[in-house]
Amino acid sequence: METLANLAFGMGVALSAQNLFYCFIGVFLGTLVGVLPGIGPVATVAMLLPFTFGLGPAPALIMLAGIYYGAQYGGSTTAILVNIPGESSAVVTTLDGYQMARRGRAGPALGISAIGSFIAGCIATLVVAWFAPPLAEVALKFGPAEYFSLMVFGLIAAVVLARGSVLKAIAMVCLGILLGLIGTDVNSGTIRFAFGQPELADGIGFVALAMAFFGITDVVLNLEQGTKKDVLSERIGRVLPSREDLRRCTGSILRGTALGSLLGILPGGGALLASFAAYMVEKKVAKPPRSFGEGDIRGVAAPESANNAGAQTSFIPMLTLGIPSNPTMALMIGALMIQGIAPGPQVMTERPDLFWGLIASMWIGNLMLLVLNLPLIGLWVKLLAVPYRLLFPAIFVFCCIGVFTVDNKIFDVYALAALSLVSYLLIKLECEPAPLVLGFILGPMMEEQMRRAMMINFGDISVFVTRPLSAAFLIAAAVLMILIALPSLGAKREIAMRE
Amino acid sequence: MRIRSPIDFWAGIVFIAVATAFIVFSLQYNLGTMHRMGPALFPTLVGALLACFGLAIALRSFVVDGPSMPRFHARPLLVSAAAIVLFGIVLRSLGLVVAVAAVVLVGAFAARDRHLIETGALAMALIAFSVAIFVWLLGLPLPLWPAS
Repeated sequence: METLANLAFGMGVALSAQNLFYCFIGVFLGTLVGVLPGIGPVATVAMLLPFTFGLGPAPALIMLAGIYYGAQYGGSTTAILVNIPGESSAVVTTLDGYQMARRGRAGPALGISAIGSFIAGCIATLVVAWFAPPLAEVALKFGPAEYFSLMVFGLIAAVVLARGSVLKAIAMVCLGILLGLIGTDVNSGTIRFAFGQPELADGIGFVALAMAFFGITDVVLNLEQGTKKDVLSERIGRVLPSREDLRRCTGSILRGTALGSLLGILPGGGALLASFAAYMVEKKVAKPPRSFGEGDIRGVAAPESANNAGAQTSFIPMLTLGIPSNPTMALMIGALMIQGIAPGPQVMTERPDLFWGLIASMWIGNLMLLVLNLPLIGLWVKLLAVPYRLLFPAIFVFCCIGVFTVDNKIFDVYALAALSLVSYLLIKLECEPAPLVLGFILGPMMEEQMRRAMMINFGDISVFVTRPLSAAFLIAAAVLMILIALPSLGAKREIAMRE
Repeated sequence: MRIRSPIDFWAGIVFIAVATAFIVFSLQYNLGTMHRMGPALFPTLVGALLACFGLAIALRSFVVDGPSMPRFHARPLLVSAAAIVLFGIVLRSLGLVVAVAAVVLVGAFAARDRHLIETGALAMALIAFSVAIFVWLLGLPLPLWPAS
């Protein structure tokens, strides 16, 4: 009951004219970048940070959140019509979605992905509302040792769940931590690794890092490959799926939502992992006759529901623990800090308007997305015709202005250029950027918590394993590492990632 | 000994090099004790960890087959980076309008095909948009014109 009262309070916040407006802007832009291939939610959120400076924390967070889950809706449109995932989380949607489109069933495919996403979004909103408060209560009791071990667990989980080589992913985490340590050490006042550059005393800007790794490098790689698009120009037809389609998909949508909600909470989870897992589960458990890979509507419904649910529940660790589970959440934390709010379990009690307003806005945002996507689908499809050569200079401009305005420092613009070179090299060497970005955010926090833990316990490292909760996190991290090191499971993971 | 996975080999080398650099630079800071950790302790620990993983990745590349080196295309990367640096230089002295024009006109050279008139039009549109949104609507402190 308390949850409902809280949600009602949140509704009151979210339904204010200002918040409704920014929620709409968020989901609109989210759909836009979701549809446009070659620009993802991370880069968009980073570019839009300057828009939020003048706003209060609640509208800022509501808008940025809208971009993230809105992108999950938009990503499916390109996946179905063009066979190019607009978002990485829509990769699996291409498998059955594009086949449906080729069979003249593009309309129902688009329709079911919007409807599935909406249902998933509604349920995930409730999941966040129910699970976040108890988690925050537990988190309030965490000491520095628990926090440190939790972050270790979070980073390991993010690594194991990421694509590509685990060894390289862990190395990227370490590299990210080291980059995060550049700048003034808060405890001693020592300026570390600044090479005498006074601008580096504040450290590398997180926005510059995120833009370099997820914006500029993406543009460069797209330009290398040259983009070829093959838009399905046939009429989309009826968007609403038939009653038969809906009946077949009900189970898939609910399974996808459940799986997505669960995986979204895990560190390193979020939309991407959720959609892959949901598709694989669906292939195994859906009632015959199955025709996955040949245009089975359930192959669209399940992953699309899952990625939307995952996108929303990935806010839980960010809101309750102050720990980001993916690069987008790391940017949200950055946005909160710019607003002068330290993310963590205290946000819920100190800023209930922010917390519950955000959660309620997710539900409203999902409703808006349904309206934006079902009747206006034709409009989004037209956008696909925008040539990339018009798009990428705009990305440059918005990145440059965005990165400069964070701190009004020209240095950050140069840092963006330099980090783009670094990021290009690393990505060419097949090192995933997401673990590095998480390490960058968590590195300074880990150092701080480790210092405090050592200070309290007179330099006794065993505190990390003698405190039960801390030990549990470390054991969980170790188990994950062992699981992934076992050859049989490692091979399975590889197959799973490839599918 | 033959390198069977060049990508992994070079990734490992990069990691080892960066780790070494951080450890070496840490030497000039105070290490402290475990009880009172100095500014050098945590970076040294993480640097050592990174070096170990880098070494493991590099050694593994002699055992396990992997992809060969990818092709590096210098042009899109360097032109993009140059356009961004140019934006920084120009913004300070000549203001936002010239800076946006510079980044669009130079940045366009990162693509293979170019359409001069179209790029010019795009630059105009982006200037109008940036000035309207960032300066007028959001009131961000960006210099518009060359400082006199």
